[in-house]
Amino acid sequence: MIYKVSYVVTGGSHPGAIINQDTPPDVGEEIQLNGERFEIVEVIELLPPRDDLAYLHATCRPVGETP
Amino acid sequence: MRGRTLLERSELFAGLTADQIERVAELGEEIAYQGDEVIVHEGEASDEIYVVREGMVEVLVSEGAIPDVPGPPQMRPIVHLGPGQTFGEMALVDRGARSATVRCVEDGTRLYVIPRKRLLALCDNDPRIGYLLMRNVASDLSFKLRHRNLRVRLEGKGRTQ
Repeated sequence: MIYKVSYVVTGGSHPGAIINQDTPPDVGEEIQLNGERFEIVEVIELLPPRDDLAYLHATCRPVGETP
Repeated sequence: MRGRTLLERSELFAGLTADQIERVAELGEEIAYQGDEVIVHEGEASDEIYVVREGMVEVLVSEGAIPDVPGPPQMRPIVHLGPGQTFGEMALVDRGARSATVRCVEDGTRLYVIPRKRLLALCDNDPRIGYLLMRNVASDLSFKLRHRNLRVRLEGKGRTQ
């Protein structure tokens, strides 16, 4: 399965990203987008899977920022 | 990559057989870009579709020139696209000018570049490939729109800048 992930960043100036990856994102996981570190705070299924693709959305915030 | 080619990992090729993917792949070429290099400019003619194989690109739109302020318009980044993503696909559907500027944001970003006319000719000659490619282009555009809507919704809650 390939996970097509829509990352939306809350706070900060990063515009977010769309990336295909081998593993699904998890809440609490840290990711790096262009050198900036973000914590994933929410993951939802954006669309039902089709072929070998799963469609997910992850909301992130800069590491260290309180909700 | 678990036996897959990088192109097979792109949604653009979902549902195609290995042979069909090879036929599409034969139409284009791989090009490497370095950090900050502009790949396409907003407003210019569009003749290719791009697939990100490695690295990351940034999509930017101009916020419009202000009559009393000299200089070029401000460019606003709207999304980064990583491995497996496509851009330039709107031209495949509407043949319009580039709607955004796209620049490389990671050194060594590698893109697969497919000429629009050659891809459309293949779609005409093999309707099964044509159907799947157009379905995948529509699905990708829909995903990008959903991503954009989520971002706007979060902006409305004051959760993004």
